[in-house]
Amino acid sequence: MIKKILPYLLLIPTFVIIALFIYYPAYESFSSSFYRISVFGNRKIFVGFQNYLNLFQDKDYINAISFTVVYTSITVVASIFISFFLALLLDQKVPGARIYRTLIFAPYAVSHAVAGALWSFLLNPVVGHVNYLSRILFGIQTQWLTTRPYAAYSLFFASIWKTLPFNVIFYLAALQSISSEVIEASIIDGASSWTRVWKVVFPLVSPITFYLVIMSIISSMFQSFAIIDVMTKGGPGGYTTNMIYKLFMDGFRFQKTGLAAAENVILFLIMMVVTVIYFTFAQKKVHYQ
Amino acid sequence: MKKILVFVVLVFTILSFAKTKIQFWHAMGGWRIEVIQNMVNEFMKLNPDIEVEVQYVGSYEEILAKTVAAVQAGTPPHVVQLNEISTQKMVDSGVIVPVQDLVDKDPSFDVGLFLPQVLNYYRVGGKIYSMPWNTSTPLLYYNKSLFKEVGLDPNNPPRTYSELIEACKKLVKKDDKGNIIRTGITWPLYAWFFEQYMALQNQPLVDNNNGRTAKATKVVFNNQAALNFMNLWNTLTKEGLMINTKRADWTAARQLFISQTVGMLISSTSDVALLINESAKQGFELGTAFLPLPDGTARGGVIVGGGSLWIIKQKNPAEVDAAWKLVKYLAEPEPQIIWHKSTGYFPIRVDAIQKLQVQGYYKDNPHHLTAILQLLTSVQNYNTNGAIIGAFPEVRNAIDTATEKMISGTLTPKQALDEAEKNANKAIKEYF
Amino acid sequence: MKKSKRKGVKIIFTETLLLVSSLIIFAPIFLAIVMSIQPPEFVFSYPPRFLPQGFFPKNYSDAFKIVPFARMMLNSALIAVLITLGKLITGSLSGYAYANFKFKGDKITFYILFATLFIPAEIVLIVPLFKIVSRFGWTNTYWSMTIPFMASATNTFLMQQHFKTIPKEFEDAAVIDGATKMQYFTKIILPLSRPIIAGAAIINFTYAWNMYLWPLIVAMEDRMKTVQVAINMIMNAESSNNWGIIMAGTVIALTPTLILFFALQDLFVKSLVQSGIKG
Repeated sequence: MIKKILPYLLLIPTFVIIALFIYYPAYESFSSSFYRISVFGNRKIFVGFQNYLNLFQDKDYINAISFTVVYTSITVVASIFISFFLALLLDQKVPGARIYRTLIFAPYAVSHAVAGALWSFLLNPVVGHVNYLSRILFGIQTQWLTTRPYAAYSLFFASIWKTLPFNVIFYLAALQSISSEVIEASIIDGASSWTRVWKVVFPLVSPITFYLVIMSIISSMFQSFAIIDVMTKGGPGGYTTNMIYKLFMDGFRFQKTGLAAAENVILFLIMMVVTVIYFTFAQKKVHYQ
Repeated sequence: MKKILVFVVLVFTILSFAKTKIQFWHAMGGWRIEVIQNMVNEFMKLNPDIEVEVQYVGSYEEILAKTVAAVQAGTPPHVVQLNEISTQKMVDSGVIVPVQDLVDKDPSFDVGLFLPQVLNYYRVGGKIYSMPWNTSTPLLYYNKSLFKEVGLDPNNPPRTYSELIEACKKLVKKDDKGNIIRTGITWPLYAWFFEQYMALQNQPLVDNNNGRTAKATKVVFNNQAALNFMNLWNTLTKEGLMINTKRADWTAARQLFISQTVGMLISSTSDVALLINESAKQGFELGTAFLPLPDGTARGGVIVGGGSLWIIKQKNPAEVDAAWKLVKYLAEPEPQIIWHKSTGYFPIRVDAIQKLQVQGYYKDNPHHLTAILQLLTSVQNYNTNGAIIGAFPEVRNAIDTATEKMISGTLTPKQALDEAEKNANKAIKEYF
Repeated sequence: MKKSKRKGVKIIFTETLLLVSSLIIFAPIFLAIVMSIQPPEFVFSYPPRFLPQGFFPKNYSDAFKIVPFARMMLNSALIAVLITLGKLITGSLSGYAYANFKFKGDKITFYILFATLFIPAEIVLIVPLFKIVSRFGWTNTYWSMTIPFMASATNTFLMQQHFKTIPKEFEDAAVIDGATKMQYFTKIILPLSRPIIAGAAIINFTYAWNMYLWPLIVAMEDRMKTVQVAINMIMNAESSNNWGIIMAGTVIALTPTLILFFALQDLFVKSLVQSGIKG
């Protein structure tokens, strides 16, 4: 008897917490997406799907969706490839690899908001180090955070910087668990080593890639609001406003509870659709050992 | 019977010793945290039965967000400092005790002593809802030393847009590679300055007398007055005479001025104390002046900005009384003088200003005087009293977004105004 | 000979790439540390400087003056430890359920758990979550900042993945020895999973330490605020024209996680290697 209910007992702590503190508030938020709600919640009228309709008629929201697509795909793809490459290099165990690894892991300890603050400083148009170097090296003198398209580039750069270490760590672990002969064989063999990496090693770590892509998408869909808030405030002219930043603005800066709730629902649905599609298509390509 | 009486007396004595505890949230960071704490300590000395927990929260937006959360959770703070554009929102909120109600019950409080310029802003429909407190207007700061260096008259700052553009041109400095290393002017990218320039040209921002005779239904700023300002901004940007900051980045604007990367700065009068200090440290002479006007227009006035103190409804009326005592204290002449001297925010009372004048304070502090004169010489009417809009943060957002598009070259000044008008009207319509 | 020469080129190539990329990646943190010990003139010097000159600790004392940092560090540490412990407990229990049992509803509950990844309550559900927390009377307590975050899908997955790699024979042997399912879990599975527990702990701790929006809204009193809130307060102090102070705050905030990371990085990678994470 106890054996039968044991798995359920094991799940109780987790499910009590997610029911109380995720699904219940999510349900409340879902139901308020059908209302117009005043700032302090003292006035409330049922509006049906009006909030949703308003959003899809709002040019700014459509722009936010398209920027989300651009921002997420660029940061996720770049972060995955760069981190795989870095992990590959770190795995060579050249002299000093441990120090390099330490330095490359460091941004993991930094929060998104602080990452935003650091890059804002470095990109400062007057005294920023990046601006100085870009002027010396490439002759580019620009207002990184306030002009198109540089504001977006700045965000991509800072976000990739912040998410890179997490991916490197997992790739490094994955590479280390592959028998070293396989890698040795593919690396040493000069001319075709590149192809070997992509044809042999990358497929071997595809389960971890699968996991990291999902985690990176989630991170750039949800955690990015802090970086954006600190670095560009979604500007110039709404150019770098993505869905989560729009939600943050509508919910916290303008206290439009109902509208923000609708945005929340849309975001959730998009994530569901993306994951289902991703699972059906990517799962086929994942090579489990 | 006797026992009961003893009990009642006992309860009363305990109650009278029990301290009323209230929370005061403010948004004044840096050295001002200490200034406020000292003022509150002084208050607690005078009112030993009240204990005030002062909390520096962060930005005004965060105070509002936290107040919303706390009120909905049933643990509201007592006194919160919010910025001027939250006024209509708070009036509509149903969670505040209007200051007017407390004033009416309190004979010791004389509204007549307050500066009408300040009071007029916070009076909605004839009623004062919050206590004006940190009050500021925009001011032109300029670097007298740089003015001398480039051959401009340090005692004759630009008064019109064309003079401003001329001055900016002279201030530009390039290095041998042709990179601009110093230029004319900056101000934070913030619609507050847009609003000020409407009032300076004696124009309203929204209909129904700036929302003061009835609720505003639409913005009315898409006109020549606004175009004057936007054209100026556009010209200065296009010709490299101005550095733009990111949105509402006051710190960046000040840094540009302090580091002498720009020769002029338009910022709040609340920066006076800070800029006096920093300019001395950097070794340049600071100048202050009224805001320059578009050529050939008559000067209207400046609108007070800054913030006010709101009293939030409480279950326990004793706490509201305590909150009122605190708010009243903070508006008294002595605290106001301390506040003015250490920050540059205006004293909000006539008697405080008179006292400072008698002490000869303004003779020694010409920059504080410029600031206050600009306000005192302002024409008083609906246009200069400032707009009252429920969706004010959204309206500012609409103006800022359009401005950003203009300076990044996607929109012309006229197109920017059209877009700002459209989005602001939408926000006003959607406000609930 | 030819092979070893090629190997040498390879090493130099790898070495250079690693050197350049690790320097670029670490530069912002390095510069933050440099800024934090330099006076304001340094920060605004042109051209910008990259190396420190002298030592200016006043930024740190100023940062401590603006906000009660010590208390906030303590809060962050306590909150991060509680969340980490909670997540490890709930995660290992539920991971065990999914890895070692087949039961009715295992698929559907797993999906329900997975979907929580798309509902980061601490970002998107602040107001409704805050209402519930205050209904429990948790405003201004550590509970409001810990209990709601004590369960997560990620921990469950990590644990489940690892538990699956433990050979079935162990369980059979334990059963023969008369151990109950729970004894098998506590006596065999958990000790065998120490590395992954350590790895998950590092991830959880860093996540909790860096939580930003939720503490910003729900910590109503200074004594409940966290380090991330402290940085926000310093950055918002309109007066702080001094990046040195902001950087000092930043360095204070990231030191604990950096140290944790530097100290445990070998263990961390090892733990993930052993976790069966590769699939």
